[in-house]
Amino acid sequence: MPASAATTWLDERREQAVAAYEREEVPTWRRSGFWTTSLRKLDLDALEPRRYEPLDQLPPVVADALGEDDLGALVVQRGASTVHAYVDPDLARQGVIVTSLELAVEEYPELVREWYMRRLSHEEGKFPAATAAFWTGGVFIHVPRGLKLDKPIQSVYLIDEPGTAQYAHTLAVVGETSECSIREYCLGAPIEGQALHAGAFELYAQAGANVQLAHFHDWGPGQIHDISTKRVEIGRDAHVGWVPVHLGGRLIKQTLDIITAEQGSDMRHTGLYFTERDEHLDLFTSDKHERGHTTGDTVWKGALTGNSRASYEGLIHIVKDAQETHTYLQTHQMLLSQDAKGDAIPSLIVQTDNVSASHGGTVGELDEEQIFYMTSRGLPRSEAVRILVEGYFEEVVQRLNDEGLQGLVRRRIAEKLLAAQDQVNRFIGERVGARRMPEAAEKEGAAA
Amino acid sequence: MTLEIQNLHVRIEEREILHGVNLKVDKDQTHALMGPNGSGKSTLANTIMGNPNYEVTEGKILFNGEDLTEADPDERARAGLFLAFQYPATIPGVSVANFLRLAVNARREEPIKVKEFGKVLRENMDLLRIDKAFSSRYLNEGFSGGEKKRAEILQLAMLKPEVAVLDETDSGLDVDALRIVSDGVNALRGPTMGVLIITHYTRILNYVSPDFVHIMLDGRIVREGTAELADELEEKGYDFIRAEVEASNAG
Ligand SMILES: Nc1ncnc2c1ncn2[C@@H]1O[C@H](COP(=O)(O)OP(=O)(O)OP(=O)(O)O)[C@@H](O)[C@H]1O
Ligand SMILES: [Mg+2]
Repeated sequence: MPASAATTWLDERREQAVAAYEREEVPTWRRSGFWTTSLRKLDLDALEPRRYEPLDQLPPVVADALGEDDLGALVVQRGASTVHAYVDPDLARQGVIVTSLELAVEEYPELVREWYMRRLSHEEGKFPAATAAFWTGGVFIHVPRGLKLDKPIQSVYLIDEPGTAQYAHTLAVVGETSECSIREYCLGAPIEGQALHAGAFELYAQAGANVQLAHFHDWGPGQIHDISTKRVEIGRDAHVGWVPVHLGGRLIKQTLDIITAEQGSDMRHTGLYFTERDEHLDLFTSDKHERGHTTGDTVWKGALTGNSRASYEGLIHIVKDAQETHTYLQTHQMLLSQDAKGDAIPSLIVQTDNVSASHGGTVGELDEEQIFYMTSRGLPRSEAVRILVEGYFEEVVQRLNDEGLQGLVRRRIAEKLLAAQDQVNRFIGERVGARRMPEAAEKEGAAA
Repeated sequence: MTLEIQNLHVRIEEREILHGVNLKVDKDQTHALMGPNGSGKSTLANTIMGNPNYEVTEGKILFNGEDLTEADPDERARAGLFLAFQYPATIPGVSVANFLRLAVNARREEPIKVKEFGKVLRENMDLLRIDKAFSSRYLNEGFSGGEKKRAEILQLAMLKPEVAVLDETDSGLDVDALRIVSDGVNALRGPTMGVLIITHYTRILNYVSPDFVHIMLDGRIVREGTAELADELEEKGYDFIRAEVEASNAG
C-alpha cells in the first residue's frame, strides 16, 4: 500500500480529533468532598511541541533510570521526537516490532490501523482529543503470537525543557499465547518552568497472552503536568499484571482502565504513589468486567508528604450478564505530613448477579505501636519510620517482579523519605508530644 | 549492671495504673513477676521500655545508674534493655532477617558482615528450632501465637541485651514450644543477662527457675519472695494474697 494511502485514514482520524479538541473546554475535575483538579495555573498557550535530533547517547535522566537493565527493545521520545530506537536483532528476527508509532503507520499500515484506538476515543474530553489530534513520535509494539520474550520491551517519554508540550501515544499489541514484559517510563529533568505531557496508552493482550506491564512516572521536581488515559484490554484466557508507579509530577490526572473482555481473562493491577511538596495527583482506575468468568485483583497504595494532594478513586464495574466474575479492590493511603491531604475511594457498580466483588479502603497515619516496637529494638525513630513506609510499599514493589525496576522504585522512595525526614518526624513527633503535654504542664505547675 | 525501678507511678489516659513500684533486677538474676489480669504487669514492661503511651508521673527508671526515665525507646534498647512483647506488632513488608540485621546494626559502629550475620542468625534459629523459611517471612505477619513468641525470643537471642523483660512469652505456647523457648532463655540468661519473666503460670518457672518472685496487685508489688512464693500463689490463689494484704494494711 502506498504511503499516502496509509496516512489518509490517520489524517481523517486526526481531523475528527481536532474538531473535538476545538469544541471541548479545558475541564475542571471535581469529586465528592474537597477534591478538585484544575488546570487554572497551567499556561497552555505558552507550551509547544519541541523537536530534537536523534541521540547517540541516552540523556542522563534516562540513562540513570535504565541503569544496567538488559532490554529487548528501547524507544525513547524526547519532547515531540523519537530520539532513540533499538531492537535486539533476535527479537526482530522473530517478528517483534518495536518502533515509533509514526514510522509504524508508514511501515505497517494495516496492522496499526487494525488496532489503533480500538478502545480509546477522541470523544473523551479536551486532552484525549488533543493527544489523538497532535501526537508525534509515539511507540508501537507488536509481539506476534506464540513468543516468549525474556527481556523487557521498554519505552521512554522524556521532558527536559520548560515550555514543552508532549503529545504521546503508545500502542501495544501482544499476540495469542505470547508472554512478555513491557515497561513505559515517563521521566522529567528538573526543569524550571511548566510543561505538559498529554498521553494515551493502549495495550491489547490477545487470547492466552501473559503480559507484565509497568508504568513508571517520575516527572521530577519541575512543573510538569501529566494528563493521560491508559487502557488495557485482556482477551480470552489471557493475563495482564499491571503495575503503575507514580513518583513525581506537579499535577497528574490519569485515568487507568483495565478491561477483562473475554471469558477466562484475568488481571492483577497493583499501583503505588508517593507525593511530596505541592504535587497534585488525581487517579481514577476502573476494573471493568465485560464478560463472565473473569477475575481481577486491584491493590493501590499511596503515601503523602509536604502539602501535596492525592486522590485515588477505584471503580469495579461488572456489566450485565458477566456472571461468575470474581474481583476485589483494596486501596490504602498513608499521610506523612500535617499539611498533606488525600482521599481513597473504592466504588462498585454491579449489574448482574452470581459474582463476588469486594472493596475496601483505608486512609491513615503511621501506627505508633509499630514505631514503638521497632524503636524498642534500637532503631532510631526516623529509621523506623523509613523502614515502615518502605515495608508498606513492599507488597507493590514485589509485584513488579523485575529487579532493575524494583531497585529504581526502592531507591526513589528512600530518597523521598530522606528528603521528607524532618517534616515526617515533626508530624509523628507532634502526635506523641500532644499526649505528653499534660505531664509537662503538670510538672511545671508543681515546680511553680 | 542493674535495672532499678524506684517508686514508679504511671498513668494512661488520665488514669493511674501503677502506684509506686519498686524493683531491682541485676544482670545475673532471674525475677518473676506475677499478678492477675489488669494488675499492671504489661504497663510496667511498656514503661520500662519507654512506650510513649504510658506517662510516668513520679519515680525513676535507672539502668546502670543512668536515669532513663525520659529516654527514647531506642536509647534504652541500645543501653541494653529488651522487651519481649505480650502482643508484638506486625511489620508488613519487612522480613524477619532484614529487621534483625537492622536491629543488630543499630547497636554497632560498623555494620555486621553479611556472612557473619547469616551464621549467627542460623545458630540462633537452630537453638530455637525455627524453620529456615521463617526468616524470609514478614515480621509477625500471619504468624501464629506461638510463632510470634518464638520470633520475640529469636530477637532476644540476636540482640543479647543485659536485662530482658519477657511479657507472657509462655502463654500460647504448646508444651514442646515452651520447652524450646525455656531452653533458649536458659542458654541466654546467666552472668551477663538478667531476666524479668512476667507470667501467670508456674509452668515456665519450673523450667526457668527464678531467684526472686514478685506479686503485683492493682498496680503495686504486694509480696516478694523466692521461688517458693510462686508455688504458694498457685496453691492459694490471688484472693488469698489479696485478703492477706488487706488484713496487714488494716492491722
Ligand atoms: N493502652 C491502654 N489504653 C487504655 N488502658 C490501658 C492500656 N494499657 C493498659 N491499660 C489498662 O491498664 C490496666 C493494666 O493493664 P496491663 O495490661 O498492664 O495489665 P496486665 O497485668 O499486663 O494484665 P494481663 O495479665 O491481662 O496481661 C488495665 O486496666 C488496662 O485496661
Ligand atoms: Mg499483660
